[in-house]
Amino acid sequence: MDLSVENIRVQLQHQSIVKDVSLAVKKGEFVGIIGPNGSGKSTLLKTIYRLIKPVEGTILLSGKNLSTLPLSESAKSVGVVSQFNALNFDFTVFDMVMAGRTPHKRALSTNDRQDYELVCSALRQVGMEQYGDRNFSSLSGGEQQRIILARALAQQPKLLILDEPTNHLDIKHQLQLLALVKSLGIGVLSALHDLSLAAMYCDHLYVMKEGHIVASGPPRKILTAALIRDVYEIDCEIQENAATGMLTVCYYPTQLMPVVKGA
Amino acid sequence: MIHLQSRQNSYAALLQNRRNFFLLLAGLLLILLLSVLIAVSLGTIQIAPIETYHIMVYKLFQLDIGNVATQVSPAHIEIIWNIRLPRILLAMIAGSGLALCGTVMQASVQNPLADPYILGISAGASLGATFAILMGSFGPTGIWGTAIGAFTGALAAAGLVMALSGIGGKSSTIKMILAGMIANALFSAFSGFIIYLANNADGIRSIAFWTMGSLAAAKWKTLAFPGLVILMSCVYFMANTRKLNAMLLGEEAATALGVDSSKIRRNNMLMTALITGLVVATCGIIGFVGLIIPHLVRGMFGSDHSRLIPTSIIIGALFLIWADVLARILLPSGELPIGIITALIGAPFFMYVLLKSSVGFGRVGG
Repeated sequence: MDLSVENIRVQLQHQSIVKDVSLAVKKGEFVGIIGPNGSGKSTLLKTIYRLIKPVEGTILLSGKNLSTLPLSESAKSVGVVSQFNALNFDFTVFDMVMAGRTPHKRALSTNDRQDYELVCSALRQVGMEQYGDRNFSSLSGGEQQRIILARALAQQPKLLILDEPTNHLDIKHQLQLLALVKSLGIGVLSALHDLSLAAMYCDHLYVMKEGHIVASGPPRKILTAALIRDVYEIDCEIQENAATGMLTVCYYPTQLMPVVKGA
Repeated sequence: MIHLQSRQNSYAALLQNRRNFFLLLAGLLLILLLSVLIAVSLGTIQIAPIETYHIMVYKLFQLDIGNVATQVSPAHIEIIWNIRLPRILLAMIAGSGLALCGTVMQASVQNPLADPYILGISAGASLGATFAILMGSFGPTGIWGTAIGAFTGALAAAGLVMALSGIGGKSSTIKMILAGMIANALFSAFSGFIIYLANNADGIRSIAFWTMGSLAAAKWKTLAFPGLVILMSCVYFMANTRKLNAMLLGEEAATALGVDSSKIRRNNMLMTALITGLVVATCGIIGFVGLIIPHLVRGMFGSDHSRLIPTSIIIGALFLIWADVLARILLPSGELPIGIITALIGAPFFMYVLLKSSVGFGRVGG
């Protein structure tokens, strides 16, 4: 499933948060979006998974215009792991993951064997198969994040959208999650904070600043100290690690702004 | 303790679990039937159970068991068939309707404290109904006028509360409860004002009816319409339990799962306003049912609506049947407004829910 975003502009409270952004995700490709806080990454992703409507531009899913596709139809092929927010109600882990089957089920249909197996295998994939009977609220933040991923997997997506999926995870599970997502062979579009991880897993990177895409391409080509200086306003050194062969980003300590007294 | 929530040990266990749940539902339905039969034989006027069931069998199946006409008095037939039975059926209809409303509203606004009474929807319906009755010179009159008035009032209250608590933006539990308080105060004051202004001799008594509820006005012909609408709503929401589950997960997750939450929320609020309006128009404000029942049931079966909805409906009906029995037999002299009974049970329950840490006060709801 290919995603293609063409010249979209998104406004929130009369302010343009995403300005004239175009990007593409091809089948099997892991595409990352990096950029500082407030650069519009989340808003862009929310627009793609249809929580927000763009004021301009089009989003095409396998060539079909998303705005004419019913929400229930696009949800059959697009899974989302968003930044986690607290719930007022509790579900068992099993029911939580089963909710991922929602777009594929008709009214009144019960959960059949296929649904059951998809849920079990999703739980197994995120390493949480022993947790089915637990209450979702009793899990740690990282475990909850993995359950949300399992829910997206049970949705059998052909395109997965991740909004900082590694937020609550320890380093082991960060690596596992990204490896798992990459191994699915479907299109993945993910906002990421960690530049080294982004360089490690992404086939293609888009760099956002103040609502614009300022650079895009394979990580090795575009990730430079100058770009990071420009986008994040920090100094760093980017090297290829001799042992792993991966790009690593080493940051210089930043200077704090002097506090002006009496201001 | 028997585990009634979904288990994931094996698919067979899941099926077994589902069978157990259906058995339990059947059991609850049986208890409901028994409750109706017991409740029908209880009341201020003593009628022997055997006579009661004679009358019931005679009326239901037109069976002449041992010459009914000479064995039972026509007055007793009147009491059983035209007073008690409609009243119990109305308790059933109102109880299941209010419990359904509470469950659906809680999912629609992702807030465990949503309830037609607490959010002032009932007060709005009551204002609409009193307005329609006492100013009855316009539009359709009679039960239709009252029902339409109550529905309009409920809708206005729902709109006000949603607007005040900022649904669509971020709404907190506190904001929503405060908005409900405002709606309650405002609409109740208006109803009282209208009743006094109308200078009706029964004014004060009808205030008691509209604010504390009573099932005494139940008649066969006023039952049919609310009964039908609530039955259809039950079927509708049972068919859409997956959507309600998705709504409970919050707006983002619902959207990601292909559920258009703002559209469904609007739909659901419209339907709950209709149900609340009909219930209030026929039996006044009966508080807390929509709060207590879903909470109790969620405690037993979890938040999955495929279980929550049917059980809430049945237990809501049971609850109001027995609350009405208490209202009828507690005082030897006469009867209590049923709203007093539900409030006596509901208010402490509300307190308990507030104190329980699981309610996200201060946190953003949803």
